[in-house]
Amino acid sequence: MSVIETVLIYGVIPLVVFLLFAAVTILPGRGQQRTKYRPGQPWTAAPVWWEPHPDTSAGASHGSDHGDDHAAPRLGATAAALAIGQRPHEPHAADAPRRTAAGGARGTW
Amino acid sequence: MSQQLDTRGTSTSDTSGSVVDESGNGPFSYQDLARLDEALTMSSRETGLRFTVYIGELAADTRAAAEELHARSGGDTANSVLVALSPGQRVLEIVTGATAARRLPDRACALAVLSMTSRLGSGDLVGAIVNGLRQMSDAAGHPSRRTH
Repeated sequence: MSVIETVLIYGVIPLVVFLLFAAVTILPGRGQQRTKYRPGQPWTAAPVWWEPHPDTSAGASHGSDHGDDHAAPRLGATAAALAIGQRPHEPHAADAPRRTAAGGARGTW
Repeated sequence: MSQQLDTRGTSTSDTSGSVVDESGNGPFSYQDLARLDEALTMSSRETGLRFTVYIGELAADTRAAAEELHARSGGDTANSVLVALSPGQRVLEIVTGATAARRLPDRACALAVLSMTSRLGSGDLVGAIVNGLRQMSDAAGHPSRRTH
């Protein structure tokens, strides 16, 4: 066995195996950086307000009666064209937003 | 499941002002947004309550600001639950509507707040929200097993 063969078998092959496992271990986590927040830092991002997707499945009984008691009393013919969570702008609702909160909790960190 | 990853185009007329372009380099990565979106949609679908999450500055009186947001949230406000976090002020507010408060009492909210603040203290915003939503939806239960 020549020197080159020895180096190939005992040097290069273990190195390749090592690098292969290293790549498989390290690479999948590279793309996803975590949300950058540390307590005490100021929050400079614009405010966001997320809401759930409207329930479109027919099996959900609650979603359907939710839509009914919404659309029927207040809205006219435009109601059919609107999605469940949507409603046309009502000026009196914006003028006097009555208190809707009934409970909850608060915490600080 | 693919429709749940698209969070744009579902805003009501009241919340559309708060919608930001998520393709930009906001504070949340795509994976985080997908997790948040799935948690929000699944907990709302499971409980029949309408969970919304607000992240941003609140006015100095954070409770009043959160309650005002809840009043403006559109849709069925009595049945909706607002989770408002202000990372800059380090304040978390949960506001429940009249119907939602019967399903989700203040004690359950306080428990969720407790577990959320412990995660928020270590900087894990997304994990806190996802776990808080899960805890609250567990406490609220399923609507079909209840008679109301």
